[in-house]
Amino acid sequence: MRVLFFAHLRDVTGCAEMQLHCAGADAAELWRRLIAAYPGLEKYRDSVRLAQNAEYAAPDARFDNADEVALIPPVSGG
Amino acid sequence: MQVEVQLTYAPIPSEVPPPAPATGAGAWVEFRGLVRSQENGRAITALEYEAYEPMAEREVRRLLNELGARYGCLAARVIHRIGVVPVGQAALYVGIAAEHRAEAFKLLTEFMDRLKQDVPIWKRRAIPAAEIGGVSPHPWVGVSMPGVDRGPGEPARPADVLGLLRRLCGQLEAERLPLAQAIGRVLREPVCAPEDLPPFDRAAVDGYAVRLDDPSTEFRVVDVIRAGAWQPRKLDRGEAVRIATGAALPCEGLQVLMKEDVQTTGDTIRVNRRTADRNIRTRGEDARAGQRLVEPGSVVTPGVAALLAGLGRVEVWVTRLPRVRHIATGNEIVPPAQAPAPGQIRDSNSILVRAFLGQWGIVPQQTLLGDDDAALRAALRNLEPGLDLLLISGGASVGEQDFTRRLLDEAGFVVHVSKTAARPGRPLIVAQRGSTLAFGLPGNPLAHLVCLNVYVRAALQAWSGSTASDDFHRGVLAGELATDRSQQETFWPARSDCAEGTWMLRPLPWRSSGDLTVLARANALIRVPTGAHRFVPGSWVEFVPARPAL
Repeated sequence: MRVLFFAHLRDVTGCAEMQLHCAGADAAELWRRLIAAYPGLEKYRDSVRLAQNAEYAAPDARFDNADEVALIPPVSGG
Repeated sequence: MQVEVQLTYAPIPSEVPPPAPATGAGAWVEFRGLVRSQENGRAITALEYEAYEPMAEREVRRLLNELGARYGCLAARVIHRIGVVPVGQAALYVGIAAEHRAEAFKLLTEFMDRLKQDVPIWKRRAIPAAEIGGVSPHPWVGVSMPGVDRGPGEPARPADVLGLLRRLCGQLEAERLPLAQAIGRVLREPVCAPEDLPPFDRAAVDGYAVRLDDPSTEFRVVDVIRAGAWQPRKLDRGEAVRIATGAALPCEGLQVLMKEDVQTTGDTIRVNRRTADRNIRTRGEDARAGQRLVEPGSVVTPGVAALLAGLGRVEVWVTRLPRVRHIATGNEIVPPAQAPAPGQIRDSNSILVRAFLGQWGIVPQQTLLGDDDAALRAALRNLEPGLDLLLISGGASVGEQDFTRRLLDEAGFVVHVSKTAARPGRPLIVAQRGSTLAFGLPGNPLAHLVCLNVYVRAALQAWSGSTASDDFHRGVLAGELATDRSQQETFWPARSDCAEGTWMLRPLPWRSSGDLTVLARANALIRVPTGAHRFVPGSWVEFVPARPAL
């Protein structure tokens, strides 16, 4: 799956996106994999929401390799 | 509720036209959020906004639909600017139409709160007052939007009709498609390099990699690296690795000697010629990680698709296609497969419309009806929900068999244009109901070709959100063009060919907008402005390519 990073999370990861293979993962598993790749994400976990294919993911969502996943830190538009 | 959402890197115009709900608006509330000169107590010159564009647009749309249903509002338009927004300029525009002001104000207030909670847009950085480079010192002047109304019954000028269409047709929603289906669509997200391109140093030629600082003339070949292999290793003095074009180099600080420049004996090479050229395509020389490669608003060309595939992007966000219904009317027309009775002709417009829309990958739903009030009335009543474009062929001529305008009016459409000041295609109708745009196209074949290529094309372009320039092209006349009706702007059918980089246009003879044979030869329409009646060969003229320009 394609995982997108925005705003200050880009500074943490040093990149705007990454490829991850974790078919069938739930949010907890996905986070485990993301933090393994970028330990700096850990401290943002509580404030970041996950999006799945451009919609906020439900708490019990399962993620698939074809999904576009995005980490949405607190927003500040307007 | 009728909803229009736009994310834009361009300044928000100083005047945004109100959305025109079908009926009943008594209030129109507008809000602009401006960038202030202070951010967290520091003087700034600009804010930079970033967005997860496809999701931001969907969230805004979802919020507006939810709040619109709750408060009973009629229409909304939201424009959020992204990228660098200088102090004093608008980062956000919200316009709400409702029956009464109270609902519109309530919706606006709640929308602003929810926007700041849920819509993935971020203030990325504040640009301090000291750092003014990169921000244009010229305040941007909003585009004025001329109205089309020139008094009752006055024909509309083509330029005004085009302006109206751009105003009525906001960019359609984005959808995520497999790459192969996205070709020809307009991208709705930026494409960035996810990693350095190429991602590793690789050999630019077939040859032998040796240390750059090793002046030996004889080397021992210690390894062979083929393209696709990953064999990192250190090289000592006097050592070489045979390497294929495109293969990853085993370490840094190397040079690739071309195989033509060495002589091979068993495991040993002798250097005949050594140049300063390293023959290496270095990591990131094509693009650096994070670099923006394609901007939103670009068309997914075969080249863009190849780039996306190379980046592993198998699905992309693009503008959805408009949903189109075409109704051909007229008692005189019969389907092409049927032999026409005396006084009748075969329907050539349906296939023309289908072929024209096919160039955008749009497949219209098509119906053929007689000049029958009841049938057309029923068809207008049963339009599919979510329809974007309704094309009605025939029946547009004011006077004789005119019924399109009357029936559109009865069906709740607001008629914006009922006649243009240009020929062919004078009796053109442009109408709107909610988010459905309707064209009444004059039934004559040449008028059809002109109206599709000039007006319908402008609507499709605006809906697509393409940032490509939509101006008229310029070319040189290859023959004389003389018109006896200089008081009217004319779109003159022509044959265009590109000769040595210049478009040459040969005007084609035509007698009336009912001509059919000229359609097969015309691939351009020359704009002959009002007041001009004769152009000599060699004159520069403006033209619209009649698609596909072959």
